[in-house]
Amino acid sequence: MQQPRKTASESTHSTPAFDTDDTTHTACTAESTTDLLTVEGLRVQFPSPDEPVRAVDGVSFGIADGEIVGLVGESGCGKSVTARSIIGLDPPEAAVRGSIELDGTDVTAASERQLRRLRGDTVSMVFQNSMETLNPVLDIGEQIAESTKVHDHPDSQRLLDYLHAPLFSSRADWHERREHAADLLDQVGIASPEERVDDYPHELSGGQIQRVAIALALASDPDLLIADEPTTAVDATTQAQLLDRFRHLNDTRGMALLLITHDLSVVAELCDRVVVMYAGQVVETGPAGRVLRDPSHPYTRALLDCLPQRVDRNERLPTIEGAVPDPTDDRSGCPFAPRCERATDDCRHGDVPTIDLGDGRGTATCYDVDDSRPAAPYNRPGITVTAASDESDPTREPTPAAETPAAETPSSESTARSSTREKTRPESTADGDREPLVELEGVTKQYATANGLIDRLFGATATRRAVADVDLEIRAGETLGLVGETGCGKTTLAELVTGLETPTAGEIRFGGDPVGGVESRSAETLADVGVVFQNPRSSLNPRLTVEQLVAEPLRSRGWSTDRRRERVRTVLDRVGLSEHRARSYPHELSGGQVQRVAIARAITPDPTLVVLDEPVSALDVSIQARILNLLSKLQAEFGLTYLLISHDLAVVEHVVDRVAVMSRGELVEIGPVDRGFDQPTHPYTKTLLASIPSLSPEETAGVRPSASDGVSSSLDRPTR
Amino acid sequence: MDDATYLLHRLGTSIIVLLGVSVVTYGLLFLTPGDPAEVILTQQLDRQPSAAEIESFRATHGMDDPIPVQYVNWVTDVLRGDLGTSYYSDTAVSTLIVDALPLTIELAVASLLVALAIAIPTGVLSAVHRGSAIDYASQLGALVGVSMPNFWLGYLLILVFALTLGFLPVAGAGSYGQLVLPAITLGTGMAAVLTRLIRSSMLEVLDEAYVDTARSKGLRKRIVLYKHALRNALVPVVTILGVQLGSLLNGAVVVEIVFQRPGLGMLLVDAVFERNYPVVQGITLVTAGIFVGTNVLVDLSYRYLDPRVELGGETA
Ligand code: SF4
Repeated sequence: MQQPRKTASESTHSTPAFDTDDTTHTACTAESTTDLLTVEGLRVQFPSPDEPVRAVDGVSFGIADGEIVGLVGESGCGKSVTARSIIGLDPPEAAVRGSIELDGTDVTAASERQLRRLRGDTVSMVFQNSMETLNPVLDIGEQIAESTKVHDHPDSQRLLDYLHAPLFSSRADWHERREHAADLLDQVGIASPEERVDDYPHELSGGQIQRVAIALALASDPDLLIADEPTTAVDATTQAQLLDRFRHLNDTRGMALLLITHDLSVVAELCDRVVVMYAGQVVETGPAGRVLRDPSHPYTRALLDCLPQRVDRNERLPTIEGAVPDPTDDRSGCPFAPRCERATDDCRHGDVPTIDLGDGRGTATCYDVDDSRPAAPYNRPGITVTAASDESDPTREPTPAAETPAAETPSSESTARSSTREKTRPESTADGDREPLVELEGVTKQYATANGLIDRLFGATATRRAVADVDLEIRAGETLGLVGETGCGKTTLAELVTGLETPTAGEIRFGGDPVGGVESRSAETLADVGVVFQNPRSSLNPRLTVEQLVAEPLRSRGWSTDRRRERVRTVLDRVGLSEHRARSYPHELSGGQVQRVAIARAITPDPTLVVLDEPVSALDVSIQARILNLLSKLQAEFGLTYLLISHDLAVVEHVVDRVAVMSRGELVEIGPVDRGFDQPTHPYTKTLLASIPSLSPEETAGVRPSASDGVSSSLDRPTR
Repeated sequence: MDDATYLLHRLGTSIIVLLGVSVVTYGLLFLTPGDPAEVILTQQLDRQPSAAEIESFRATHGMDDPIPVQYVNWVTDVLRGDLGTSYYSDTAVSTLIVDALPLTIELAVASLLVALAIAIPTGVLSAVHRGSAIDYASQLGALVGVSMPNFWLGYLLILVFALTLGFLPVAGAGSYGQLVLPAITLGTGMAAVLTRLIRSSMLEVLDEAYVDTARSKGLRKRIVLYKHALRNALVPVVTILGVQLGSLLNGAVVVEIVFQRPGLGMLLVDAVFERNYPVVQGITLVTAGIFVGTNVLVDLSYRYLDPRVELGGETA
């Protein structure tokens, strides 16, 4: 084994893998002997009415024993399909070519029996959306017990035994396995595991479910664990614990990990090596530290540039222009060429060479790799593929790419210059005693938690305080960030502000006047607050066109048809949706476009306050950057006040002026974002900040003294 | 809703349903043309009865009262546990029912088993091999099964297995051998409906992520299908099963006549032809009771099948 195993000291919190000297990774390029998993020229195609969909288009990489590899890329790049192929779970209609050598067995050619052995013994997978990956009608203990049983006896699985038919199955054996299941739950950090084994999936919280899914995967003691976005749906503290768990398993059991994620900070935190995918192909591989600090491929660079934590606060985020190529297109040349500034004619034809960067720095599949590039920290101004392009050339506006559903229309974003923003922004932040737009005083919201009808009849008074005695003001023109873990009350607080809920106690004032719930609010007050809900796709009626969706709030206010149409046209233009999109339905739009529609809908009645509930959490980084840019543009243009709820502190830090931290219904900290994040005073804020994986702590080391005990370093960014 | 509240609630609605059913049948019976007393006496005496004979018959059976009064009397008797006596034999209606009921229940249960034994594997197979020859064959079979009338299939089976091959008895009741052909007759129709249902329900479930999880554990295909997928797929099937019970009882009437089984169905048909109203009323009431009761059982079984279900209809 050439790959040096990561030692415990390298992988603790205080010394991120990122910091380790590249030379320790000398042998871990894609060409190194990878005895656990070798993927060679993997191609997966799905039949479709016209051209087959090339989901994976020639992917090669490997994983050594005990190695942690990150597979990154945006949605639709083929990373999940690759992962499913490794465990042999491609749908039957998929055409799989190439080879996947797993522990000496070729998965693509394996028999059912061989596959069962591999799955029961060598490889396990944690799927995305774990809520749906657990069987709703079987309890947790049973599901884990099955895994251990398969692991022990992969070849003698009798249906009647697994159905617990008396005489055909041993109660004692199953009982023992359930006890073992409790141990496994304990290992993934589930409290009172003996009771949890009897629970059904719907009785657990999202974070617990994720842990159970991991316990389930670990039950067979795999040599390789494939985890597909294991921390995307959980809050920051749970994420930190789960990552820690992975690291621990890697250390103690020598378990290799293939981590599929779009979150580069998770990669920085955990991975030895990274494989970057784009449009079904591998574009860059290499040690995590090198790739993140000194990316070679233009796509990797562009992707890193989109991250809010790498850009100065209040500055426009770079974006990647154009759209991912249609997976049914005929492929020739570099898939990134249409979006790449460095593209030459060579790039558009034939095979792009995969260049070994030497010194164990990995590979890049690109013509334009500068071998002589010093391994110095990657300098952002030197970027080649950035937003620069979309701000200049108006003739590009309806790009051909923008015609496809997957395309993001950049058009009107280009009207917002970062300069506009910089001019307006400092005023609004500096002006601390601007008059408050919304004031909350002693606001409390209680929910009755009494269970049955009987309980309620007899007036059982169990209550839960979702929001407890909160005093808060939102100042006109500012962006106030609201952060905290799942269940901390931030969503309830937002619902109180919008009037979807009424407070049990306390008062909410708008411009000095007390307001109640939606029913009691005047039309003007209602029009004054816009909301962008979490998960726009499910919050928009799929049967209405974009135009109807955006016009809906106006209709209920009695606007005439002509006036509505006029307003809708203006708003769609402002959010960067071209006119021909007006008659589209939500399912015809990409994730970013749907989010634009949701934003348009929120701002049509010309509100002063917009509540943004996780506006970018479901989006890929490059799309996320565009939406964040759009939001700040709209704010400057319409003088909007934002209340932003997010669990992504990097996003929060980038866009907000002040941040309010909530924990268990209480407001524990509030202040300017610099102070809140750099010098947290409340212990809870410190834990919250500490739990965030840092993308590049080294960049800030020494530049700015860390506040108390280094906790805040995770969110620092370079001060230039 | 907790169990006690739920059961109380169901009991309340059941009583209303039963009352409704009895009012409707009572009304319908008296709307049928002809004087029951005359019809009954004609049959019993085998001649045209005299006016005096009719008069005395009406008096002994309380037929002189206005219909609502008769109904109230009947309900009062029922509440006391007395379903009345047959016009013909002076046997208590309850005795007649108790004698016939086991045969019908036996038939219903056996048919249900036949139906499930056919429908589960066929439905699962055709879902797994969606679009294949197996799938088309099973769908065709289901179509034939649904379209084939019970009596026709019954006579066909008698012709082949009883008369030609002599494997099984032609008709009657009492032995297991005599149960086979009726159960198959009644079961196949139901199997056809269930096969389609299980197929479509399985198709949906097979796309669920937990099926992938189960496969990724290394479980055998059979266990993935029959433990993980089927359990989920059965939830909607059980609902329909409750509703299907009505058509099962329906079919039982026809099948009992074809196979000359003295069950509830045959008793009912005879009673209708003979204008034996107390018997008709009693059977209707008991059948409705069985129907309501079974549906409560179906509801309760949800919770076993799907732990997310809360009694009272909401899914948690
Ligand atoms: S091969 Fe050409 S088009 Fe592709 S990324 Fe490199 S420079 Fe850009």
